[in-house]
Amino acid sequence: MASGGKRPGAPQNNPANVSATGGAGQMGSQAARYIPGGKYGDGKALMEQQMGASMAKAPSPVSPRSLSDMAMPSVGTLMDPTNNPSEPISAGSDFGRGVDSSALPKGLGNNTRPDENQLIIQQYMPDLVYAASSENAPDSFKRFVNYLAGKQ
Amino acid sequence: MSQATWIPGGLFDNIDKFANSLGYQNAAIALELAMVPWKSPEERDAFIMGITGDDVQGGTEKNYAIKQLGR
Repeated sequence: MASGGKRPGAPQNNPANVSATGGAGQMGSQAARYIPGGKYGDGKALMEQQMGASMAKAPSPVSPRSLSDMAMPSVGTLMDPTNNPSEPISAGSDFGRGVDSSALPKGLGNNTRPDENQLIIQQYMPDLVYAASSENAPDSFKRFVNYLAGKQ
Repeated sequence: MSQATWIPGGLFDNIDKFANSLGYQNAAIALELAMVPWKSPEERDAFIMGITGDDVQGGTEKNYAIKQLGR
């Protein structure tokens, strides 16, 4: 019995025997190969070009990061020191230091405060009147309640 | 009829301080800030002075003490 040589029935020689996963590829280590058919001198140039430039490697997979993994600054609390010390905390409001509400962008100038005031007055007025009628109520509180009553 | 409770740092005291310090036209903000659970009247007053740059306006706690002593 003869040994060695190409065996037509071997699995690697069966054309229908195709890997389902496609193989691992060369991963950038593909050998340079002479490409015939060009003009005189092109073959050498192509060989040198293939040997000089390595194949690009596949980028390493980047795991997706969730928002919780990102370094976000903490929100802080109401009593934390300001993050913008050069600007008064009351800037943009109609009380305290800094510019008033006229300096706000026009898109923010739609003042709904009168409506908000009216809603709150209606909601809390009975309790405020009750508190103002107390003998311990200071005059400043009574003046405030009278102001709200006049706005109704 | 029972009387409203007026104590330093109470809700009505907070309303009084914020409304008179921020201005009556800011009643909505004053009421919302009055409902903040301030740790103490001192912390509340420090906040008011921080945003207004002025002393706290409104009735003083001395008034409450005098009333309580007069009972």
